Amino acid sequence: MVGTTDFVAAQRVNRRNTLILLAMLTVLAALFGYLIGWALQSEATDEVAAVSTFGLAAAGAMAAASIGWSGLSLAFGGNLVVAMAQAREIGKDDAPQLFNIVEEMSIAAGVPMPKVRVMETEALNAFASGTSTTNASISVTRGLLNTLDRDELQGVVAHEMAHIANLDTRYMTVVGVTVGLIALVADMILRTLQWGSFSRSRRDDDKKSSGAGILVILLIVVAILAPLAAKAVQMAVSRQREYLADATSVQFTRNPNGLISALSKLAAAAAPFPGVSRATQHLFIVNPIQTFTAKSSALLATHPDIADRIARLRNLGG
Amino acid sequence: MTLWIVLGIVVLIVLWLITTYNGLVGGRTQAQAAWSQIDVQLKRRHDLIPNLVQVVKDAMGYEQETLTKVIQARNAAVAASAAGPAQAAPAEAALTQATRGLLGLVESYPQLKANENVKQLQEELTSTENKIAFARQFYNDSVASYNVRRQSFPAVLAAQSLGFGPMELFDMPETEREVPKVVLR
Repeated sequence: MVGTTDFVAAQRVNRRNTLILLAMLTVLAALFGYLIGWALQSEATDEVAAVSTFGLAAAGAMAAASIGWSGLSLAFGGNLVVAMAQAREIGKDDAPQLFNIVEEMSIAAGVPMPKVRVMETEALNAFASGTSTTNASISVTRGLLNTLDRDELQGVVAHEMAHIANLDTRYMTVVGVTVGLIALVADMILRTLQWGSFSRSRRDDDKKSSGAGILVILLIVVAILAPLAAKAVQMAVSRQREYLADATSVQFTRNPNGLISALSKLAAAAAPFPGVSRATQHLFIVNPIQTFTAKSSALLATHPDIADRIARLRNLGG
Repeated sequence: MTLWIVLGIVVLIVLWLITTYNGLVGGRTQAQAAWSQIDVQLKRRHDLIPNLVQVVKDAMGYEQETLTKVIQARNAAVAASAAGPAQAAPAEAALTQATRGLLGLVESYPQLKANENVKQLQEELTSTENKIAFARQFYNDSVASYNVRRQSFPAVLAAQSLGFGPMELFDMPETEREVPKVVLR
């Protein structure tokens, strides 16, 4: 028996983490903005001022951009994934059993009934989307419907329902935005510096100040390392959410065997999945781009190893 | 100075009361919503069973003992449900047993399993059985966490006087029991 309503607590933690992450994102973006403005001004005047007016203006602009971007992606992020995967909404008559199972799991999770969608592909996969429990949807592939039996399908749907109940979909949307913005800003810094150093070398070399030089080197290091670190953090968070969703799934169904046998089938299947990009892969129950995962390091994988997930599920009494 | 300290303590106590109250209201509302879901699913089962029994009867051509048992248990549960789900729990538990017998009957007869209408109703009944179980599970989990919250320190100091009494778990005994004699309405 797995504890009491742990997923209600998980929701609370996720709400708080989302806020903290949003705040960190804003501060980070503002700091980046300040660094850019500062470096630009130092380049232009050849003096390193303690307080840069350029920097302050750029910091304000970056903070506004990050808040605006997060708001937009929370409002529209879910729809984009659904559109990219070409998931079509269905009614109860189209797939009564799937519809029933989703209803059962929404009762077990105590969340409103989400929309049910089907993706017309032979690949075996499923994902949850939506930024709150009231606008959520669960999408499964046709291949999954045809291949899994009732218990297995229930395990998979419970896993997706866990993502909805734990508010993982919202959390991962904000994490995705954080990482995207850091990458974008890092790219901007590198471009700015390229332009800056060109203009300086055209001017004259004997006037360059060592303070501005150190600042530039610092910027380059930060701009190269920050996106990599952010990506590694995102993937670690993503893997953690997968483990939690597996555990919550068993808490809903009280039957680890359904999910275990479903994961085994998903691992064995190798049908290609069109319409999935690396931007959305972390939302699926198993990584839809498996060839990529096999080659990439464990550090940058969106999903834990399926064998590892099955082993953890067996520990829950499967 | 002392006035400010007293004022500060009063403000803290009021804030604590507000958060405790809101937390308990949230927990109780969740449990009550879960409770009504159980009720909905139990009613749905009462509505489904006569349909499935009729379809099975038609497909088999004769009335089997399992079918009469199920109908009896169903009618007993309907009669008991007037008093509310808590009082109906034993009758509903008996109906769960009888329903399992009916679903087992469908499984063991190939001509039943092949019948489209039976298949459809079988899925509906299976799903309703699951929904009852999951609604009960969520209700009991909600009640358990509400009870823990109202009995935890320091909430325990205020819960009773704010009107938050303990809530009861919904038990449906799993043991086999005699199908009770019923007066049909």
